Amino acid sequence: MPRAEPPRVERTGQSGDAPGGRRPLVLAGEASLRRRLAARDEQALVELIEVASPWLLGITHAMLSDVDEAEEVVLEVFASAWDRVDSLGDGHDALLPWLLRIARNRAIDRLRRRGRWRRKIERAQAWGELPPDRVRAAEIDESAVPGWHVHESVHAALEALPVEQREAIRLAYFQGLTHSEIAKRLEIPMGTVKTRLRLGFDKLRVALAPIKDWIV
Amino acid sequence: MTAHDWYIENRAAFVARSLEPVEERTFRDHLGRCDQCTREVARLERELAWLPMAVTPVAPAPDFVRRMATAILDRPARWRRHVPLAAAAGLALVAAGTALAARSEGRDLRVALVARETRLMALEDTLSVLRRANMVLQTRISMDGYPQGGMLIFQEAVSHRWGVIVHGLPPAPSGSKYQFWFITESGMVRSVEVAASMQRPAFMTLPMPGVAAPVMGAALTMEPMVDGSSEPQGVTLAHVVF
Repeated sequence: MPRAEPPRVERTGQSGDAPGGRRPLVLAGEASLRRRLAARDEQALVELIEVASPWLLGITHAMLSDVDEAEEVVLEVFASAWDRVDSLGDGHDALLPWLLRIARNRAIDRLRRRGRWRRKIERAQAWGELPPDRVRAAEIDESAVPGWHVHESVHAALEALPVEQREAIRLAYFQGLTHSEIAKRLEIPMGTVKTRLRLGFDKLRVALAPIKDWIV
Repeated sequence: MTAHDWYIENRAAFVARSLEPVEERTFRDHLGRCDQCTREVARLERELAWLPMAVTPVAPAPDFVRRMATAILDRPARWRRHVPLAAAAGLALVAAGTALAARSEGRDLRVALVARETRLMALEDTLSVLRRANMVLQTRISMDGYPQGGMLIFQEAVSHRWGVIVHGLPPAPSGSKYQFWFITESGMVRSVEVAASMQRPAFMTLPMPGVAAPVMGAALTMEPMVDGSSEPQGVTLAHVVF
């Protein structure tokens, strides 16, 4: 796969570096980008697509295991963003996480609506592993993707969880399975699923706290 | 344990969307009434906002950004467009526009350029339906029991439109016309008239009919020129059911 053209980004935060020497990831002048989007600046839309596409394609492809369908979801997300530019991210969320949340929700809606659900579970069972590892794009140029260090931090936080909590979170968050489906998949009681998820999310909230600060 | 404890316990599950569908609806209804849960869910969403970035990014195809931007920016015109498009006619308009631009200055030049751009966008739109089709169907057209050309249907799932090409069909006899129909579960739905020519295929970009019933197929018939009935009255030339 040809390499994506390097998107424009800047990392700022001279006085507010996150722990570990990391710096906040900020889309090139995010406030300015929001204003330009609200003013229906088409070039701003192009810039947003350039920066956000690799991550939106990553999560949707991982969940849907279908390139065309992933692209459709990403198109819906950008179209939704363009249609709602006036309230884009409602001022609290950074643009990218806001887009990611929409993309993930839409991917889950599709999985549930289209009855691809069962096939997805069967595929996951056949792999014995989860999509995030399967869709690793060997061709991607890490240095060209803004936010790669965020990916590394988040991935490390996930990998640091006890394996049973990580498994429950991956099935719930990255494959959209419900409590009962996870219980069936892992052959454990539903109460155990809920406990694992609760413990896992609590740890992730702590681990991701520095990244949360980057958003602000 | 109070009833509200259940909501407190399941805030993270709601954000993760691991609640059962009925539970999810119940929780969503509750959010409309509970400021505390609404605040906490928003906080959780912010705290877990970057979690999707645990997934390795995927490099977009080289033309991805352009395709996305074009699809989004052209949408209003695209959704409304349902006029049959003849490629040759389009090229003629482009040529005419170009010639006009060469002769004119100022306003005329701008008008010509806009017309050309509009036509090119229409052509590009038609091509996008053909290129992005997730299913292509082909059927033979029969006239008086003999094969006479064919019909290709490109189903495109993103904008829910069809690209239809009718080829090898002579112009309709005087007083008649070719009519394209959608076949739905609730009956036939009239679509567009097909302007056939032996020299050039007829291209059409069609939105799905505005009926709730699912589309099951398509048909081409020959109808009286003045006919406007909701059901086919004439001869069926082609018929395909998925």
